[in-house]
Amino acid sequence: MKTKKRIAWIVKILFWLIVITFFTWTIMNDMFRPIVEDFGEFTHLLGQHIIIVFISGLLAILISIPLGILVTRKSFQKSEFWIVNMANLGQTIPSLAVLALAMGFLGIGMKAAIVALFIYSLLPILQNTIAGIRSVDKNTIDAARGIGLTPFQILIKIELPNAASSIIAGIRTALVINIGTAALAYLIGGGGLGAWIFTGIRLFDNAFLISGAVPVTLLAILVDYFFKIMQQVLVPKGLRLAKK
Amino acid sequence: MLEFKNVSKIYNGNKKAVDHVNFNVDEGELVVLLGPSGCGKTTLLRMVNQLESITEGDIHLNNKSVKESNKIEMRRKIGYVIQSNGLFPNMTIEKNVMIVPDLLGWDRKKQLDRFNYLMELIGLHPDEYRKRYPHELSGGQQQRVGVARALAADPPVMLMDEPFGALDPIIRTKIQDEFLQIQKEIKKTILFVSHDIDEAVKMGDKIALFRDGQLQQYNHPFEILHRPANEFVSEFVGQDRVLKSTSLYSVKDLVDSVSLTGYQKAGSVQTVQEDTSLRIVISKLLNQEAEQLAVEDTKGKIKGILTLDLVEKFLYKQIKETPKRTG
Repeated sequence: MKTKKRIAWIVKILFWLIVITFFTWTIMNDMFRPIVEDFGEFTHLLGQHIIIVFISGLLAILISIPLGILVTRKSFQKSEFWIVNMANLGQTIPSLAVLALAMGFLGIGMKAAIVALFIYSLLPILQNTIAGIRSVDKNTIDAARGIGLTPFQILIKIELPNAASSIIAGIRTALVINIGTAALAYLIGGGGLGAWIFTGIRLFDNAFLISGAVPVTLLAILVDYFFKIMQQVLVPKGLRLAKK
Repeated sequence: MLEFKNVSKIYNGNKKAVDHVNFNVDEGELVVLLGPSGCGKTTLLRMVNQLESITEGDIHLNNKSVKESNKIEMRRKIGYVIQSNGLFPNMTIEKNVMIVPDLLGWDRKKQLDRFNYLMELIGLHPDEYRKRYPHELSGGQQQRVGVARALAADPPVMLMDEPFGALDPIIRTKIQDEFLQIQKEIKKTILFVSHDIDEAVKMGDKIALFRDGQLQQYNHPFEILHRPANEFVSEFVGQDRVLKSTSLYSVKDLVDSVSLTGYQKAGSVQTVQEDTSLRIVISKLLNQEAEQLAVEDTKGKIKGILTLDLVEKFLYKQIKETPKRTG
């Protein structure tokens, strides 16, 4: 136990050393110059980035959770195979190809980027919703049926609260991936911070590259942290106790 | 109260899980559905509250077919306890216990009173456990809460599927005793699934013994033990069935039937209470803890001396002279 703790400490210290070194280096070399010099453009790109992530993520949540609930109903069990495999298929295609395909149908622009990222976010949320609902103890469901809860009441009072942790974890994964992938939206004219990243790559200008990439990373960390808190708020206390 | 009429359950067109079962349960009776695993006892239980459909025949609850009743409404009027307690981990103990009254729309005050009453009944302090969660409780406590939840809306009928089966022997015995006390007070009509003959003899007013979906014998534990209807029943209750039957009697039954040897104040004699099970008495006498025991009534007055000979005489009388009882 003690060695484990020591290793954890060493890793932590190393991690922060790297982070501090990186930021000292970037600031010393004036790497965030583009943000300071063209703050208006920066907020514009950041705004585009957030809009792409937010709308595609929201659509994915609105579609995959009900879909996950639907396929776990007894009468729809046979459809699970098809639906999960279709979502799987979406996931196996490289993100760049999904973007290209979406562009093929919807032309260049933000709309195509949103649709592509939406398709890309479906699977993690869908899978986690299904896994979460499936993991609810069968005896608990049996007891709920036996004492006279309607199927809807079982869903609302038992299945969803018990699956909440898993569902939120799915959303968290999807959004964090989504924020990174949204940088590619620039390639199909969707805007976002990818604009600076790709400019940086093309011009061999690290300042643009870092001014685009670091905010994307920070955004991902921020969203991840937000959902970590959401997990604590939304998961019933009894289940958090159960985990301990 | 509860009538099984030619009930059958057939899976996939051929496998008969329950095979033409007929019997009646009177109001306030605790009937144990007994048998080896796979004999259809649980299936039969679950057909009552329609968790399993009935293939043939019918079950009548209060002269009404369960097939024709509204499933949801009916289930709310039937207490249901399962082996793995089935408590909802996301809800507090109070929410768990009060879920059916809540669905039925009881007001807050009535729910509160009922919760307090039930928790006292199962021997857990209401305020201490109200806001706690199932995972914070021990297995025995969880099972007690499971019983309280089944009783919440004061249903006339209760279905219990091996309710104490997952508990260790010491806790199980304790909860069985507690539950018998509770049953004395609440007098529910209960179907109780078990695979344990000792539990069945202890808990049941009557026992329904099953094999391969067929009812083998339905009668008082005494009859099952002393007059097994066939080879299977006799084998199932075991060759020590006379010993098992001793847990049906208390010292008081013996005192009422045969006269005790007179008691003289000489030396120290171990005493037993009148409500002690005869099985414990025999065990004490055989264990050489004492060759004789003094019987004490509830006021602490000694009534006489009990010896193995007397127990033997009593059992002989019970087995040979008791008229045959039928369901």
